[in-house]
Amino acid sequence: MDKGRLLDIFRHMMLIRRFEEAVYDFHEQKLFGGHYHLYIGQEATGAAVMASLRGEDRIFSTHRNHGHLIARGVDPKNALAEILNRADGTNGGRGGTFHLADASAGMPHTSALVGGSVPLAAGAGFAAKLQKSGGIGVSMFGDGCFEEGVVFETLNLARMWALPVIFVCENNTPGAVLKSAGGNNTSNLPEGRVIQIPEALGMECHEVDGGDAEAVDSLFADCATRVRETGQPIFIEALTERWPGNYFSFPSRVTGITQVSMAWDGSSIAGEYEDWFRNHDPVLRFARQLLDRGVANSGDVAGIDVEVTETIEAAKEFALSSPVPGTDSVYAHVLAGEG
Amino acid sequence: MAVMTHAEALVEAIRECMDEDPNVALVWGSLMGVGGNNEHVDHIKADFADRIFHPPISEAAIAAVATGAAMDGVRTIFPMGTASFMFRAWDQIIHEAGAAHYMSNGAVSIPVVFHVVHGLRGGGSVQHSQSPQSMLWNAPGIEIAMPSCPADAKGLMRTAIKSNNPTVFIDHQKLNKRSSEVPDGSYDIPFGVADIKREGGDVTIVAASLQVVHALEAAETLSTGGIEVEIVDLRSLVPLDEEAILASVGKTGRLLVVDEAPPRCSVASEVIATVAEKGMDLLKTPPVRVNRLPVHVPANVVLEDYVGPNTDRIIEAAKLLCH
Repeated sequence: MDKGRLLDIFRHMMLIRRFEEAVYDFHEQKLFGGHYHLYIGQEATGAAVMASLRGEDRIFSTHRNHGHLIARGVDPKNALAEILNRADGTNGGRGGTFHLADASAGMPHTSALVGGSVPLAAGAGFAAKLQKSGGIGVSMFGDGCFEEGVVFETLNLARMWALPVIFVCENNTPGAVLKSAGGNNTSNLPEGRVIQIPEALGMECHEVDGGDAEAVDSLFADCATRVRETGQPIFIEALTERWPGNYFSFPSRVTGITQVSMAWDGSSIAGEYEDWFRNHDPVLRFARQLLDRGVANSGDVAGIDVEVTETIEAAKEFALSSPVPGTDSVYAHVLAGEG
Repeated sequence: MAVMTHAEALVEAIRECMDEDPNVALVWGSLMGVGGNNEHVDHIKADFADRIFHPPISEAAIAAVATGAAMDGVRTIFPMGTASFMFRAWDQIIHEAGAAHYMSNGAVSIPVVFHVVHGLRGGGSVQHSQSPQSMLWNAPGIEIAMPSCPADAKGLMRTAIKSNNPTVFIDHQKLNKRSSEVPDGSYDIPFGVADIKREGGDVTIVAASLQVVHALEAAETLSTGGIEVEIVDLRSLVPLDEEAILASVGKTGRLLVVDEAPPRCSVASEVIATVAEKGMDLLKTPPVRVNRLPVHVPANVVLEDYVGPNTDRIIEAAKLLCH
């Protein structure tokens, strides 16, 4: 057991949580408009996956991308500035919440179109193979992507051409009740499992509890090593819990600001979301694991929270003071070579 | 006359057509992008449950399924949401729906309606702000409707559903919650008949969809400065009411076309080309187009507003044209 590694994963999870809480506040304050998506409830998967990736790897995310960038090590200042569409944002303010990307961090482009980034990740695998870079492509995507044809085409192609890619499907599907109510566009797949599709193509497939950071880390680290050795694609279905705030057309912070002390003091846990706090919230789950295993004590966990909260407070100030891009900037970079 | 929102008027048209014709079916996703107006469609859900299908995120498949069903006379309305998403079904719309009638030598017709919400919606960024009207106009075999107000939306939607051609019905997110008077009862507005939304003798503004709203706002301001604007609301691009455009240009001698697609090969380009071919002698001065700038749509709303056609740009262009 590598205590430092586990603590690092926890630190990233906590950082994502505080980041997303800040994004929620910004939206409530109407500091940015339009639709947006939060990564709350899926932190364990993103943080654990990134722990095994290297500089030469390429990661492609989706409309729900914030956590992936933070886990990858992108500075929350620039990520938050991008969400406010400011000049210091990762995309210079022109991408916004749907499109956070940072080429310098190996995340060159984020498509907000369902399934849009899955083939791009396979393209990164294709380039790595041709260039013998030693890198791999990683596609982080949701289960709803299986409703799009291009995802099947990509899985088939990756297998056929033996591309070094790991497809990480973060399945945050709503349960059967919500599905049958027909009220949510995501995951209207009939009974059956999305994992059966790559299985039918003969791809190595795994499923894992996406809310268990240590389990994801251990599986993904093993898969990353193997993909680098064999060059063959692997599919991982991370079964994540759907955060209760994610049942609405816009996120709703129904579970409040996360109280990390709930990990060691259950006395304040009650009410409608008690089950979430006790059994599902991945940040609290992992904190409890760290305590139970003696990796950290409650003071260590609280200390990490203080540290990341300060980081986010500084990032908020930075983002809020970052200027709006000048209107002349709209002409820049329509074509390469034009400045 | 009842006052309705754009979204309500559209839903009313769909409800009437589903009531009148058991062959009308509806794919139930984010209907018309109406979002918060979903209560207007709850009664459709209840009344026509057997003709409503809840979609997965599969634009290409659904577009082609609706096209295949149309070959047997089922008239499917497929709201695709943001117009950007229709690119995922481009092949099916252009090569299947748009071509089947021609390829069958007229034996097969494709009565299907693809409803999309186009344009700058406030923070939509690059992948949720497309204006595909001119790209579609370049594809034969597809009718294109672009209403600007609730009354037109209702009458044009009824025509789209009854049409034996594939229709792309292009709405705008910023129109959905606007309200105005809608005539009582059922009525159809034929395609290819433009509407003069304001009469004036100094300059003709040709527009469709939200840009008609912007043009009307601009006309008010321009009028106080002594410039009287005539606004030709195209309502449909295919077929195009060339006569109405030429008649208005004949009256004013000046032409300004506003369109949310970028300028090259846009609706504005096509309208101006048409006038150049058929009414060059009517023009007192070179025509002007006001388009989205030829760039992608940035997420920042200040920049988004800057790249889009808006009331101020229309006013500025009209003044230059008249002086």
